[in-house]
Amino acid sequence: MKTWTKMLCAAALALLLPTLPTLVDTAALAAELKVGSTMDLSGPTSSVGQPYAKGIRDCVAWLNANGGVAGNTITLVEVDDAYNVQQGMAAYKRFVAQEKVVAVQGFGTAIVEALVKFAAKDQIPFFSASYSAHLADPASAPYNFFIAADYSTQLRAALKYFKDQWKEARAPKLAFTYPDAPYGLVPIAAGKQFAKELGFEVVGDETVDLKAIDATTQLLSLQKKAPDYTWIGGTTPSAAVMMKDAQKVGVKTTFFTNIWGSDENIFKLAGPAAEGGYSLQAAAVYGQDVPGMKVIQEVTKGEPQMTHYVRGFTSMLVLAEGIKKAAAKGKVDGQSIKEALETLRDFDPMGLTPAISYFPDDHRPSMAVFLYKMTGGKLVFAAKQELPRDKAWLGK
Amino acid sequence: MRGKCGLFFSSYRAEAGLFPSAFQKTCLGLFLAALCACPLVLDTYHVSILNVILIAVIGAAGLNLLTGVCGQISLGHGAFVGVGAYASALATLSGWPFVLSLLAGGLAAAATGMVFGLPSLRLKGIYLAIATLAAQLILEYLFLHATALTGGSNGLALDAPQILGFSFNTDTRIFYLILAVAVAVVLGVANIIRTRPGRAFVAIRDHHLSAEIAGVNLFAGKLSAFGVSAFLAGVAGCLWAHYTMFINPEQFGITLSISYLAMIVIGGLGSVIGAIMGAVFITLLPELLNLASGGLAGLFPDMSASLNALREGVFGLTLILFLIFEPEGLAHRWRLIKAYWKLYPFAH
Repeated sequence: MKTWTKMLCAAALALLLPTLPTLVDTAALAAELKVGSTMDLSGPTSSVGQPYAKGIRDCVAWLNANGGVAGNTITLVEVDDAYNVQQGMAAYKRFVAQEKVVAVQGFGTAIVEALVKFAAKDQIPFFSASYSAHLADPASAPYNFFIAADYSTQLRAALKYFKDQWKEARAPKLAFTYPDAPYGLVPIAAGKQFAKELGFEVVGDETVDLKAIDATTQLLSLQKKAPDYTWIGGTTPSAAVMMKDAQKVGVKTTFFTNIWGSDENIFKLAGPAAEGGYSLQAAAVYGQDVPGMKVIQEVTKGEPQMTHYVRGFTSMLVLAEGIKKAAAKGKVDGQSIKEALETLRDFDPMGLTPAISYFPDDHRPSMAVFLYKMTGGKLVFAAKQELPRDKAWLGK
Repeated sequence: MRGKCGLFFSSYRAEAGLFPSAFQKTCLGLFLAALCACPLVLDTYHVSILNVILIAVIGAAGLNLLTGVCGQISLGHGAFVGVGAYASALATLSGWPFVLSLLAGGLAAAATGMVFGLPSLRLKGIYLAIATLAAQLILEYLFLHATALTGGSNGLALDAPQILGFSFNTDTRIFYLILAVAVAVVLGVANIIRTRPGRAFVAIRDHHLSAEIAGVNLFAGKLSAFGVSAFLAGVAGCLWAHYTMFINPEQFGITLSISYLAMIVIGGLGSVIGAIMGAVFITLLPELLNLASGGLAGLFPDMSASLNALREGVFGLTLILFLIFEPEGLAHRWRLIKAYWKLYPFAH
């Protein structure tokens, strides 16, 4: 009994002691602005969450090393939420109540959506890597921002690109494969409708689980329908399974994946089967010839990073631009940053993503998507496809 | 059961009382007063954690009644929470007052729970676990695909609850609402266990054949356990939905069911206070680990990535150690601590 109590006390002390230095540190800096960052550093989405979080971290360090943002030092308060809604919510509450952050960088859909109302009430601009179209509609999510075209716009832009490339007389055949989960289902209705408008023939519709280790059944069914193009709406591991099984079964189709559906890891997972596929991305890949890449290569000392890193970096860059604009007008707080962000017009984040604009009634950052072709074990830039900013597509 | 020294009863009714001694009543009163005073001294971060804990307490108390008291394992509790959340959200969105929405959420979950509890007459133990797992999967599918009702993958947004024009739109305000419901639920569950149906639940758990011989209707007993348990899950879901003001299918996955099971196992199966302790423990552990890894990352900045990986491991390890060294849960440890101090310093 006594040893048990002692152990408990020791454990409690061990847990509490390390928090002391952080309390001291935060009091030392003056003229600082705090930004919260709730990231998926562990849990199911950590393979993409970690590079994204590193991008944000490096951008903050780079901004601070170059004079800060409008004379302010940015302090990043990072918490791992493990893609768990309760932990993400607790992190957000801590940012607001204890750290007094002016803005938050978030990551996963489930958490971002659970915090939409809180961010609006607390007037905290909430950047995220969840590109669901409905988060770009200020009518329902007034304080939510992201820097990539939403999932539906990405899919529409890719369809437009493939239709423009299509030379044969018959209508191109199109199949959709996606996981039966919110993330996979979100753009499907928009994609199907736009495909019909463009003159695609939608021939197939298969669900492939995010954790799939075999997709032969779905591909055999696709084989009969012989689609020219096949959308993969999953994540990199399930996309790799699809591509490998397609090669095994002998399905000849051009795969195109959404933003989380393939990254640099696809070549490790799928090998030569990935060859010829397209990856939809919103940010440059490492080493691409854009002005911002020099900065990133300098910050990372030439160590290659995934495209998610570049997106995290840009997300922070855009937020910094908002803070700069807000500071030029006077007070820097959540509301002024939001209003400043809504005056951004074709802001170019050093070429790392397509130019970004936000409007008070439209938070879609851009209507453009980068298409990369998987060639020789690399993502090779193929095209930038832009769509008109159609009001009817907002939030859908 | 041993009574306390100097505590005598002159009637069975008094002996069966929830709080037999004045000391217990005073302690409980002080504890509740302290809880009520919490928002005055704590900031919104801590209050928000209290809110999440209290919602977990309601759900765990419900599952404890079914699994701990009646012995029917359920892996579908998370989905029942979801049914309550969606039903109450729909009720609120169509203009019902909050109190009615709360009841609607609870009743919808209770009805769903009873339907999926039907196989419990034929299935026991691990087989029932699989049947309730099926309930979880079916309900998750409905949340995602019954788009007209649930908003599908886009989820449902709603407003802060209002009672008689008073809006519970801050953490502090809704804390009192959740606290009131949680106290009512905990007292309710403690009382159910003392009643005839409650004793029937225990009889069913301990030996179903003897229970039936003693005149307990097995089917009615099990089904009502499922109903009451799911009702409380629905109430928890309603409060969660109105607290976060946004629900989507991902919030009510199998992990929620498992974490409720973890709460009642860690806390102590069949004990009301155990369910409370388990809910507190499981909700607080990730926060404490986050705090510790955050602090350690401040001391050793290069290690932050491995610390996060370690955190998950520590969470798992803590659960395993608890199961090995505290197989009867936190409630049992609590009883031992009380016994120790009762005899202090003459422990024997």
